[in-house]
Amino acid sequence: MSEQVYVVSAAMIPFGKHRGSSYVGLAVSPLIDALRGAGIGKSDVDAVYVGHSYGGMMTGQRITKEIGLGTVPTLNVDNACSSGASALHEAWTAISQGQAEVAVVIGVEKLTQFGGGTLPLSPEDREVKQGLVMPAVYAMRATRYLYENDADVTDLARVSVKARRHGALNPFAQFRQEVTVEQVLAARPVADPLTLLMCCPTGDGAAVTVLASERARARRRMPRGIRVAASVLHSGQVAEGFRDMTKPEISYESARDAYAQAGIGPGDLDLIELHDAFSIAELVYYEAFGLTGKHTAAALLRDGRTTFGGDVVVNPSGGLLAKGHPVGASGVAQVAEAFWQLTGQAGARQVPDARWALTHVTGGGTAGLDHGACTIHVFEAA
Amino acid sequence: MAGEEAVASGAVASGAVASGAVASGAVASGAVASGAVASAPVADLDGDGLLGDFPEGRRLVGTRCDQCGAAMIGARVVCSSCVSQAVSRVALPATGVLYSFTRLHGLSGQRGVPGQDGGAGVRPIGYVDLDLDSGGGVRTLADIREGAVPLRPDMRVVFGVDGDDWFFTPAQAADEAGSSDE
Repeated sequence: MSEQVYVVSAAMIPFGKHRGSSYVGLAVSPLIDALRGAGIGKSDVDAVYVGHSYGGMMTGQRITKEIGLGTVPTLNVDNACSSGASALHEAWTAISQGQAEVAVVIGVEKLTQFGGGTLPLSPEDREVKQGLVMPAVYAMRATRYLYENDADVTDLARVSVKARRHGALNPFAQFRQEVTVEQVLAARPVADPLTLLMCCPTGDGAAVTVLASERARARRRMPRGIRVAASVLHSGQVAEGFRDMTKPEISYESARDAYAQAGIGPGDLDLIELHDAFSIAELVYYEAFGLTGKHTAAALLRDGRTTFGGDVVVNPSGGLLAKGHPVGASGVAQVAEAFWQLTGQAGARQVPDARWALTHVTGGGTAGLDHGACTIHVFEAA
Repeated sequence: MAGEEAVASGAVASGAVASGAVASGAVASGAVASGAVASAPVADLDGDGLLGDFPEGRRLVGTRCDQCGAAMIGARVVCSSCVSQAVSRVALPATGVLYSFTRLHGLSGQRGVPGQDGGAGVRPIGYVDLDLDSGGGVRTLADIREGAVPLRPDMRVVFGVDGDDWFFTPAQAADEAGSSDE
């Protein structure tokens, strides 16, 4: 019998352009706050897992040495946009298998170091050499989606409008101003049909969670926290030829496995934090997660069934579109949101009586794959 | 040594095998290579272009697996389906179907990136599914040259070359320009 694993605390900095902060500067405060929130000291930590994509060598150790948290294993994890959640998956694996009792998970990224523009992808990749950038991938997904489905460009705008409306309530969000459909459509074109306001912003961020086994939680009198009901990590599978870009198999299969592991279905979820790096993604993932059937994702959004008062609140934090997307930090920040929601600490954006939450990040940018990595977690209020 | 054939037939290669081909052949056939196997690096940075010269003219470079017939984009050394290293360089078809497309905005140069330099350049790109009747299909990212015909998914496109640049363009437009090989 594997150990039950709990997230017993979470902390993060507001996402934004923190030009004066290094990776250490971004992460050290939430690290301290997360340990305090768990009611433990650094000597209680058995292992540290650090998700980032652009931090360079030993980012995790550079952060933890600031508080003298050493000796124990520290693992730096790069899975692009799934880095932070992959780090969490590693921590969950270690605790559930009894290799650790208490683990710290850090997600951190500093994108302002690149001075703006799109995410730097591997220059060794065939399509990156041809000039592919992430907005182009999602834009082609959107073009095909609008061609095949009963949806139009205003539905893409509505995703951004909802994200901004949610983000306006979140003090951790990079964008806290609401926008209208008209403003989204009139914004500067980035990659047709996506305008700037349909793309997540560049920014910096850090989020930290503490995970503990059920026994350690009880023995060290840590907060009840939330239970990790599922932790799933999938890698992409190459397709040399045709691929249906509107049905990313990596997210479908990860969701299927996560539901099976948690023993619940989509109808049980109270909130979802999903990977809305570009607005088209949210519509695609409604279907991937089983919230709706074929061709009906846009109707689900239009009918208000994925916002407060609907069937399930998708991205109550504002998502990547409003909260921001410092790549390696995003997966851990989603878990922080789930932690606050399921422990009733989400303030103005609290989903009433939230019991089940799903978080999802997926990292792309590799020729032949839909995405390279996908991580889904399911949490239950404890 | 006749190691490759032996391994491919399921025998065990023992001793110091100084060939990556033999070791990976073992993966495909399920045989075990024992001893110190010196796997060989692949010089995949030599010649990074997809454009190649073939008897039928300049075409996109592809690879076909001699064992299972799978087709792949670019010059490859191993089949991503059956893991055979017996693969051949082939010319890919000059026609296909536009699966999807976008126009990247804000470029200052043809190879710029959107939103970074704030230029006025626009670059149409798309995914083209090439006309292959066997091998599982090949999709390639491509520059798309727009003409009078508006781009839409599922339209037929044809390959074109302009100096060292290559692209696909709507078949109908190419017909009108008299440059189609269809």
